[in-house]
Parts: sequence; structure tokens; C-alpha cells
Amino acid sequence: MQKMHKTILGYVPEASPLYEVHPFVRLYFLMVVSIFPMIIGAPEWNLALILVVLVLMKYGRVSLSTLKLYVPISISMGMLILLSYTLLGGIHPEFHVVFRILGFPIYYERIEAAVEVYTRILPMIFVMVLFLSTSRERDVLVAMRWARIPFTVTYMTAMALRAVGMVIEDFSIVRQAEKARGFDPHGKSLGYKLRQFVMYIIPLMALSLRRSEEFTKAIVARGYSFTGLKNVKRPDYVLSKYPFRTRDAVLILIITGFLIGILYLRYGLGMLTLEGSVTQRWLRQWLLGGAA
Amino acid sequence: MSAVIRFESYTWRYSRTKQPALDAIDLEIEEGAIVGVIGPNGSGKTTLAYSINGLIPRQEMGVRKGKVYVMGREVMAYTPAELCQRVGLVFSDPEAQFTAMTVEDEVVFGMENLGLPIEEIERRLAWVVPLTEIGPLMDKPPYEVSGGQKQRVALASVLAMRPPILVLDEPTTMLDPLGRRRVFQVLERLKREYQSTIIVIEHSLEHLIPLADHMVLLYYGKVLLADETEPFFERLAFLMEHDVFPPGVVEFFYHLKQAGEYPADAPLPLTVEDGTARLRELLGGKG
Repeated sequence: MQKMHKTILGYVPEASPLYEVHPFVRLYFLMVVSIFPMIIGAPEWNLALILVVLVLMKYGRVSLSTLKLYVPISISMGMLILLSYTLLGGIHPEFHVVFRILGFPIYYERIEAAVEVYTRILPMIFVMVLFLSTSRERDVLVAMRWARIPFTVTYMTAMALRAVGMVIEDFSIVRQAEKARGFDPHGKSLGYKLRQFVMYIIPLMALSLRRSEEFTKAIVARGYSFTGLKNVKRPDYVLSKYPFRTRDAVLILIITGFLIGILYLRYGLGMLTLEGSVTQRWLRQWLLGGAA
Repeated sequence: MSAVIRFESYTWRYSRTKQPALDAIDLEIEEGAIVGVIGPNGSGKTTLAYSINGLIPRQEMGVRKGKVYVMGREVMAYTPAELCQRVGLVFSDPEAQFTAMTVEDEVVFGMENLGLPIEEIERRLAWVVPLTEIGPLMDKPPYEVSGGQKQRVALASVLAMRPPILVLDEPTTMLDPLGRRRVFQVLERLKREYQSTIIVIEHSLEHLIPLADHMVLLYYGKVLLADETEPFFERLAFLMEHDVFPPGVVEFFYHLKQAGEYPADAPLPLTVEDGTARLRELLGGKG
């Protein structure tokens, strides 16, 4: 079984062929491929995109069990979308009523819209999971630096990522300390828990302030300043360890090519829409029996 | 040897306190010396360290009097960037100083700040990584390695900047005995191979004593005693009066001396090895 490594962003495999791809290409994949479902309306194509992402995850030796982490959010999101489009979707006499719940009409058109929206969102989640499962914190920073984002910004991002990890650690320490002194909110009401949350917030705030002071001293002691050294160009050693190869450029071109192709199919030829899609035909057949 | 650090009637009082943390101290530290600074908590040891590398007064609010010279120039005459190339500071809590996502990033951070070319960064990495034995850790997040490894990473990230003066502020406080020993092994190599000037603020005397050429006792803002290590510990009664607890071997021979069982004019052994040899002599002499 592939050994996974915990990062602040999720779990990544110890070794993966996707690590051979430049981090910027992975970030570019995330940014561009996430747009695909916004352009594509036909659910079957968005589901096909999920399949592609799953294949990439398998190829990248990502443990597919990490997807379990995202199952609850995917289900609750689906339920919310379905409820807001159907039960809370309003009264539309022009639509086709499929059935009624407590007298509320459930329209075919609203179900169709819910399916379309949900199948747009799901691939975005999968693309994000793929990115988080194949990018370590350092990769994110390298990608940003390669994109010529100023060092100060990338450094602030690194500090923010680092701070998230530290706050989680500190929270756990404070909670253990509170428990050790007999504080146990288990079984208490939500209101009580919220009131007692202040007990965590105060030491956490104090720790954060102390940590930021220590951080400042540590970076000043090693010559860091937001303005940089006068007349000194800051080298980027880390970036030099990630050469951008021809293969990476080709991958960028392929991803861009797909984007252009999808844009052309959608807006040039009017394809990839919900109208006339296989899913729509199947839904109509199933829910309306071909009546519409 | 010339003094690379000189305090002249130096006083620092934090704005939040009434008493000065350092009170009109005069102190000289020679080039290439390893100096141990000891004293109870609150005696001004960290203030001394921060005053050498300029964090005081740049990052702290307070009142400063007197002068601190580093390599012949007053600390305030240096820019922060110039000073960090001369004085490296290792903090007591290594984790608090980590800002990077991997050990490698952490070690190169300071060198990047100095604007060193990539080739030079690689050369220095090739020197500092084996010296501090952090090779297998380079790809790991610095906050996920063990306590001793963290402190060696912190040490490496400062050493890589090649400061001629190194100040370590209680570098082994948070470490287990093995971690402590390994940090001191690195310092020993620095002394032996590179003749660096090192100031170590430390409570763990058993490791510090064999290494230090000089010792300084700070006591509530005052330098009470500063001398070479051997004569420094000859004044054991004075040290113990001022909350210094020497290693067991020193205390043992001190009691023997008090009881007339050990020659009054013989120096106190400072290490276990030394003590064992002296004890053998004593027992052999009697036998």
C-alpha cells in the first residue's frame, strides 16, 4: 500500500510520478481545469472529467481512500442543492410537476437544474482533491514563485500555512491543558460550549502573539526585511531545484488547448450544454416518461 | 587575541520594567573563544544575546545606555543585514524560529536573504549539512523532526550564513540528554575545526564546561564574575551563593577539599574523566 504523508493541506503519497511535473503545471491544472465545469453544462461530460481525475489520482499513487474525507461534504452539498432547487425553488406553473411532497410541487425543470449544478460542482471538488493530494506546501510556494509572484507575498503565504499548523497544535495543547484541569464540555449544551470556548480563545490569542514576536525576531536575526537588502538581488535556491522542462511546457499547452477546445465547442458550436445532453434525455424519460 | 565583542558601561532597561535587565556591564570577548554565560533566570542572559545581534534595541522597547562593539564597530552603526552576517543567533525554542516548509528551505532562507549566488548556497549547504548531520532531514518539515534535530536545523540555518560570531541562547533547554550531547558535539567541531567565536548561554554545565574557554556569571543584570573556566570554578562557594549549581563531580571534589581530603592547591576537576583520573591518583596515593 502506498505510504501517505500528512501535510497541512491534506495527505500526499510519499512518492508519485506526478511529482515529476513542475508544481506550476499542477497549479495551472487546478486553476484551468476547475473552470471546465463552469463552461460545460452536460452532466455526462462533467462526470467524465471526474473519471479523468480519478485516473490521474490512481496514476499519481494517491490513496483513493482519501476521497472518503470528502464524501460527507459532497453528500451534504448535493442535498442542499436539491432542496434549494426543488422544495425551496418556488412556484412555477409553467414547469412540469413530477410529484408533490406535503402539497409542494416538485418540478422536473428544477430537478434537472439541480443535477446540472451538482455535476458542475463535483468535478471541481475532485480537481481540488487531486491538487491537494499531489502538492506539498513547498510545491504551492514554488508554483507561486515560478509565476513571479513577489517573494514577500509567497513568504506571507508560507507563514500563513505554517501558522495554520501551529494554531492547530496550540489548540490541541490548550485543550489538553483545560481537560487536565477538569474542564470537560462533553455532553453539555451548544450554548455552554460556545461560552466556554472563550477559555480556548484567550490562551490561543496569547500564544499567537508570542509566536509572532518570536517569528519576527527569528527572521530579522537572519537578515530578512520586507524591502530586501539594498542593491542585492534575492536568489531563489528552492526554485532552482525545480527546473521547468519542455515536458512541462507541453503540458501547459495541452491544458490550454483543452480550455480553448471546450470554449469553442461550447460557444462556437453550441455543444456541451444541458440541452440535448444524454443525461437530460435520460432524466426526461425517467421522470416524465417522455411527456415533455 | 583581540576582543571581537566589547560591552562598555552597557545598560538596558525594558520599557515594561523598572529595573535594568543589564546594569552598566563591562565585558570583553576574545576572538576564537568559547564563552559560557550562566546565571539564574531573569539575570539578563537573553538580553545580553539580543544586545550583541541588535535585536535590542531594534525589536524591543526600552532605554539603552553605554556601548556594545562588535568587531570594532558599535552595534547600532551596522544595518540589520550587515550585523546578521557577523553575529548568528540561535534561539532556545528552535520551533519558534522555523518559518519554512522543509528543512532545506529553512537552512537556505538566511543565505537567500544575503543575496548569495546559488552556487555559493550549494557550497555552504555541502559544508553545513554534514557538519550538523541533518542530511536525511532535508525534505522533511522542520517542525516534524525530533527536538534535538530541530535544534541542529536551527543551528545549521544560522551557521550557513557563516557568521564569525555565534550566540546560542539556551540551545539545549528543550532537549533530551542525547539531543544536548549532539548539539554540543557540533559546537566542539566548530571550535576544533573553524576556531569560531561562540557564546553559549546555558544551564547544562556538564556539557558546557569541557567546551568553554571562559565563563561569565550574570546575576540580576551585573557581571559578577568573568574568568577562564578553571579559575572560574575555583570560586565554587561564591558561585553556589549565586545560584549556580555545578556538575556533581565538581561539587564532590569541592567537598573533599573542604574536608581536607583533596589538596587545597590542586585545581578542581571539571569533567567526569578528569575527576576519575584525580580520584584514581588519590586512591592510589593512599593505597
